[in-house]
Amino acid sequence: MRALSRLALCGAAASLAMLGTTPPTRAAEPGLELPAYSHAYEPRTVDERGVWMEADEAERGLRDSPLRIREAGLEAYLREVLCREVGADRCAGVRIYAMEIPGFNASMMANGTMQVWSGLLLRSRSEAELAAVLGHEFAHFELRHSLTGFQQRRRATDAIAWIGLWGALANSDTSFTQNIIARGIYRYGREQETDADLLGLRYAASSGYPASTPAEVWKNLMAEEDASAAGRNQKSKQKYTAGYFDSHPTALNRSIYLAEAAAKMPAGGDARAREYRAAMAPYLPRFLAAQIKRNDFGGTEHILQSIAAASGWSPDLLFARAELYRTRGNPRDLQVAAQYYREARAAGYAGPELDRNLGLALLRNGQAEEGRQSLNAYLAAAPEAGDAKMIRALVAN
Amino acid sequence: MKRLLIGLSLGLAVVAPASANSLVTAGPRPHIAESRFSASPTDEWNRLSRKDGKNVEIWTRDGDQLNKVTFFGGIPSGKPLVREIDKKHQPLPKVAADMLITDIPVLLESTYRIQYAVTQMEVDSQEPATLSGHKAIRFTYRFAREDDGVRRRGEAIGAFVDGQLYLVTYEAPALYFFDKDVEKYRKLAATLAL
Amino acid sequence: MKITRLLRAACAVAIAATGMSAVAQEKTGNKPGFALAPGTARIVLMRPTIWVGEQSTGGMAEPNADWTMQARETIARALADAQAGLGNVVISYDEGSSGEGALVSEYSQLFGAVAESVIEYQFFSGNRLPTKKRKDSFDWGVGGDIARLKSLEGGDYALFINVHDEYGSTGRKILQIVSLFAPGAAVTSGVHKGHAGLVDLKTGELVWLNADQQMGGDVRTAEGAAKRVSQLLEGFPGRPAEAPATAAAATASPTTGE
Repeated sequence: MRALSRLALCGAAASLAMLGTTPPTRAAEPGLELPAYSHAYEPRTVDERGVWMEADEAERGLRDSPLRIREAGLEAYLREVLCREVGADRCAGVRIYAMEIPGFNASMMANGTMQVWSGLLLRSRSEAELAAVLGHEFAHFELRHSLTGFQQRRRATDAIAWIGLWGALANSDTSFTQNIIARGIYRYGREQETDADLLGLRYAASSGYPASTPAEVWKNLMAEEDASAAGRNQKSKQKYTAGYFDSHPTALNRSIYLAEAAAKMPAGGDARAREYRAAMAPYLPRFLAAQIKRNDFGGTEHILQSIAAASGWSPDLLFARAELYRTRGNPRDLQVAAQYYREARAAGYAGPELDRNLGLALLRNGQAEEGRQSLNAYLAAAPEAGDAKMIRALVAN
Repeated sequence: MKRLLIGLSLGLAVVAPASANSLVTAGPRPHIAESRFSASPTDEWNRLSRKDGKNVEIWTRDGDQLNKVTFFGGIPSGKPLVREIDKKHQPLPKVAADMLITDIPVLLESTYRIQYAVTQMEVDSQEPATLSGHKAIRFTYRFAREDDGVRRRGEAIGAFVDGQLYLVTYEAPALYFFDKDVEKYRKLAATLAL
Repeated sequence: MKITRLLRAACAVAIAATGMSAVAQEKTGNKPGFALAPGTARIVLMRPTIWVGEQSTGGMAEPNADWTMQARETIARALADAQAGLGNVVISYDEGSSGEGALVSEYSQLFGAVAESVIEYQFFSGNRLPTKKRKDSFDWGVGGDIARLKSLEGGDYALFINVHDEYGSTGRKILQIVSLFAPGAAVTSGVHKGHAGLVDLKTGELVWLNADQQMGGDVRTAEGAAKRVSQLLEGFPGRPAEAPATAAAATASPTTGE
């Protein structure tokens, strides 16, 4: 979740009062008490009003962005999941924007604007997994992390500037000291992440979703990173201890402390995987197609397998897998792709593009006659398609 | 190291001297993108000094945000369309000798998504064409980048010649600019030769 | 090497805050031959991009909502005054019930891309496009379709304003003074830049753009805002604005080119 880190460090998160008087409305078991929460919080200090002002402007940009997924119901559904995770009173002050960006990320700004990226929606396998990430972001917000992070960065860069100038005056090398301070910026960021993880876990444990899910999210993300590295013939890079310049604790570390903390909490109930799958079904082909074009064979294969492990190989997943292999395009890949296209059809994939892409895979693999048959089937089913002229020319040659 | 720290911490501006953009006048123009590509524009263009790759050349009328013709001149098998910025974490797809002509738009889309923060892109139409006598594909597309709110449209022609990819694209904001200059691009594209 | 990169990241904010001050430029472009029609022009002020804050000692930009709000008000008032002096009426953009919010927002984004292109490829000599070098050439626009927008009906021109102000904090000012004693370490304090452009709502043409990387006038006060607005309106087409003497007197003639 490198991307999540970056955003969280550079201005996500934060607000809502710690000074509020509203008692927590949900039954709090020992260890699950949530901080008191107040509605309609208004920023109080110069710094905080400034951070809010920037957030208000950024929110206008999100609201009108061409990347926003405006189709009926998606943002409303995401809000339902957030409300289930953090409770109806807490989620009342949040606006959610679903953005078509394939990275694994969600973030929250000081004024209660939350954005959720399509890459997170693709990777989540249940409402509980999605909720774990949204809850983490909400925790940043409730803990007002974007404000305190901003203030901490200002203190550190002020010091770096003074020490640098002192070095210039004294003609001495101050990089060591400046380095230490710069590390502090990142250490602070890592501490914020851990705080948000642990508060997020308490939301999860009081939500009815399984308390073990947040740890699972990190494990799955590590597995994807490993698969991605392996697919590129690189070494796995999971480690327990964060480097000095990491803005987040390592995924391994997080999965371990989250699992330990969850073990002491009530187990929770249904992860609502079926409901999640149904809600995402209309968007899944689009999200999968974008992921396949990221040139990350290992990572994408991992995502497909992890979704399939949770919910079986659906026609959409089989088609996507065929696309993935066809895109890599080694002769063996083309053969495997043809097989997956056929499995997708056997499983009920009905779109005419299946015949086109199967035909292209066969053609590229030198199976010209079979390839033409498939392409002709595509043309028969979709004679007016945008690429029909091109495909017709391919068949004719 | 010390200089750098002083510079960074004090916010000193480092302004690299920009080499000049040059005028493309009407008339024959050989060796575009350091390749066999040639054209014979009838309109004036500006050639940007900036290069996105060894065999990549950019022409524009009002600046590359507003209208942009990119020539990819003979990208060989095994090479990406543009210079990779992060080989390790964001490797780009490479040209392959056995690619079909319909793989060209896919290669372009994948490159844009990885390198240029394009998160929405759709290829609209694809039809057969000829590029200097070679079998080619002409296609149109739409896309939006993560970092600005301007929707853009594109039109391109590409072909594989002797195992190398030759591709020319025209891109501009969907509002106003695309239509304003698309005919000038088409006139230019009609003069392309290899 | 790695440390270098990371520190660069750590301090990127400081760089971004002061980045362009070394290439200060002040340029105005007018569409040749264009003059505001005599009589009262109705000018729609598009939602201005205004950001006012402080520059921290380390060079970070610190947003200040109170100052920004003040600047919104003072600039709007100064603008209305200045245009009234020219015989024009300024009305603020209102989406109303047109449902055109997203489209107008896209036009604003497009205007931003056009303004950036004018500044980079025509005003800034280092990267100028050869076709944009010519004397008396100023050919830019957002297209005539803007005339179809219902929410802009009744306006003759759209005025786009962009203002970014970072006032040097006390710490930054002291750092600047001390830096005078350090050879080779020049610290700048404060960032004050902005641009303003006028689009003809009948044709979509950009008839005037003024960009300044080093502006004067404290936008947090009424007086300062008046001075800033007179600077922003430099070269504004039509009769010369009745500007305070401090502003380098607005001119009506094209000043594009060298």
